[in-house]
Amino acid sequence: MASNRLIPLRVSNKKAYVWDIDGETKGPHIATHSRPSDIATLRSSHRLCGVLTGTLPHLSQQNVFLGVPLLLMPEEVVLLVEKGLAILVDDQNAHHDPSAAEMEKWDSERLRGVEEQLALAEEHDAREALHPDRGMSEKAILKRKEREERKARGKANAHDPDQGVSTPVITESVPDPVESSRITPSHSSGATPARNLATSYTVHVPGASSTFEWYAPSIHSFTTLAAARDAGMWDYPETPAQRARCAVFRDLWEQGYFMGGGFKFGGEYLVYPGDPLRYHSHFVASVIESPAAPLRPMEIIAHGRLGTGTKKAHLLCEWSEEKKTVTYYSIEWAGFG
Amino acid sequence: MIKSDRKLGATARPIIPKRGEKDFEPAPGGGSGLQLHILDRSRDAMFEALRAKRTISSKTISYGIWYPSIDRVHVTTARGIHFSAMGYSISRTAQDNCQSPPSKLPKRLELLPEEALYFIERGALFCYKSFSGGASLVDSSKHESQSQGAPMSVQQSFAEMIGREDLTLERYQVYAYLKRLGFILMRAEPPTPEYPVAPPVSLPPAKPQTGTRRLSELFSCLVPKVMSVARLFHRINWWRRLQLHQQKTTQDIFKALRFIPCGHTIPLYRPAIKSEPTSESSSPYKVLFHAYKPSTPFRKTAPPAPDFYVVVVDARTTPIPSLQELTALFGILPEMPLPPPRKRGVSAPAKPPGDSQPANVRPTTPKTAPHERSPPGLTTSRQPSSWSSSLWTFFQRLLSFLPSFHSVPSQRATSTFTPRKPNPFLALKTGKKTIVIAAVDAGSISFFRFGQGVFEEWPMI
Repeated sequence: MASNRLIPLRVSNKKAYVWDIDGETKGPHIATHSRPSDIATLRSSHRLCGVLTGTLPHLSQQNVFLGVPLLLMPEEVVLLVEKGLAILVDDQNAHHDPSAAEMEKWDSERLRGVEEQLALAEEHDAREALHPDRGMSEKAILKRKEREERKARGKANAHDPDQGVSTPVITESVPDPVESSRITPSHSSGATPARNLATSYTVHVPGASSTFEWYAPSIHSFTTLAAARDAGMWDYPETPAQRARCAVFRDLWEQGYFMGGGFKFGGEYLVYPGDPLRYHSHFVASVIESPAAPLRPMEIIAHGRLGTGTKKAHLLCEWSEEKKTVTYYSIEWAGFG
Repeated sequence: MIKSDRKLGATARPIIPKRGEKDFEPAPGGGSGLQLHILDRSRDAMFEALRAKRTISSKTISYGIWYPSIDRVHVTTARGIHFSAMGYSISRTAQDNCQSPPSKLPKRLELLPEEALYFIERGALFCYKSFSGGASLVDSSKHESQSQGAPMSVQQSFAEMIGREDLTLERYQVYAYLKRLGFILMRAEPPTPEYPVAPPVSLPPAKPQTGTRRLSELFSCLVPKVMSVARLFHRINWWRRLQLHQQKTTQDIFKALRFIPCGHTIPLYRPAIKSEPTSESSSPYKVLFHAYKPSTPFRKTAPPAPDFYVVVVDARTTPIPSLQELTALFGILPEMPLPPPRKRGVSAPAKPPGDSQPANVRPTTPKTAPHERSPPGLTTSRQPSSWSSSLWTFFQRLLSFLPSFHSVPSQRATSTFTPRKPNPFLALKTGKKTIVIAAVDAGSISFFRFGQGVFEEWPMI
């Protein structure tokens, strides 16, 4: 399962996203289905969750569950690249302009897709026309009959008085679209629905760019942070505080924990013993960038208070640049009466 | 080929996975068999939901062209209800983008980057990138057969549209979050002159009382230094303040006794005046979006006064707002009406008559009756701007609060048999001015509401 494939992190504006979902590659290449998506690999194999930030298609009026892209914390990106698990792709430059030939191919494929859809729809319509009542509720059938009856009566009164006798019989017994078009060939009530339906087809707005032939991530990839920094596309970590955060994140990750953002709990990370999907977090971690950094008593009180209130212990994680070690202190309310 | 993918009507809706109860921790050794099984199922459900595609009927999709040179998307085919509150029309000449024929389109619909990105993400807009080579623009009606530019994926739109026109990822996330909830959002600062914005807020002029003002300034100078009581005694004639025959109510006495000026009209003491202009211009705390509740009757050519003012900051780089920054923010906000009190059956001041409030405080025609009670000169001097500019509800509520709470001498008789005062804590918590600050930390958004409480107007007696 843990493939050796490097996960491409699409970087733009110094933010790293993961876009690749299963089956997002072009239709015919079905072989890619066998490999898990990058998001799945990150989560299952690398214990990194990121944050889903995109609008979920077809469920676009909610914020409970969001879709791709998966946005990674900078600490996660640094960890992935330093461990040699991912590469950084300069996404702004990787999108080339398509050549005329590529455009033509894309257009023709798109049109072919439309044609296929239309053919399918026509086939479907033909089947429907034979059994028009299939798949309709009784109420809908009744309504439809009523409507047809009214229309037929109106027409009969206006044009053809002698037809008025026969129409009620027809609408009650025979499938109407076929029938009505036979009775009044000039009137298109039977033919237009089918054609209307046929002209509408499904348009697919592509999510990831990997379907584009003119998307060239491989020549804009960086395997090290230094190279990416030289290219000006990535600069985390820059400051001692950022380096401390990366070090603490890495240390906790190496111990097997899952980390999420801890901003809402007054810390840097939430530390989970397993996948956050299934397990509660045990700690809120805040990073102290050096042994010399001041720590006010008020912070200890506040962290202890908030941590206890949310059934977590607060972790003070102190990074020492000289010793390259992280020291942890946890705060909990002692609970003596 | 994946059949279900292309077949008409096979727009499989993703299913949001049910969360279920979490366990405290995995069993030793990475979790029990049951735990691993449930975890696998939860993960699969999650990844399955992510696999949903942006499919839309060709009859409802809109088309647009992204012009990186002007940071806008030109909407060539606009369909759907969302365009009633998004986008603006503008006339572009040929030099703005080399492809548009100058005479053919006098006005066209354009989208800001965040609007376009949101549309694309929803799967409601198919966006093409205009060819940088300047290929001829195809007639917009023919997009069915030939593309108008390079088709853009959502990924490419994220890469190209964020970072344009002051749009950061944090800002876009807040925008999209609120849009998904149904809010209408407009930029507070028009990015182009044609962009419609809410009418500017008419702020109340500086208070005309020169005496208190001088005193305020004096006090704001005094605060940072060691407070010398003797100096205060020098300036103020205490005994004049306690001439009790002028004071009618306890509130009057308290008001007269107040020698420390208070309220938000007092100018802030600024420790370093030289750095002030630079710090204000570079402050990340700026109103970025005007937000409207989903139920607002909204016309995008003439947006009304917004319901919320939204500031977006990056929680990783931005410290908590300073007092100066907050004051600057509140300085440009209008005073908001109080939220209606919670329905408890009794205390609903803005309600029509019939509830338990006595008729003399809550009159049927609030416009005339309070004027009889409180001298009009006093009320107007208190709220010089609100009379002209604010909404009727605000007007009504203000009037209903004023007689019972502000020190109106003639109110003495009636206030004695007011059975129930409005709860001051709601007003204190909400404040007169409210700003919403969205702090985004690596993708997760937290919304904070800052209110400017008016403690000096709600004495606790």
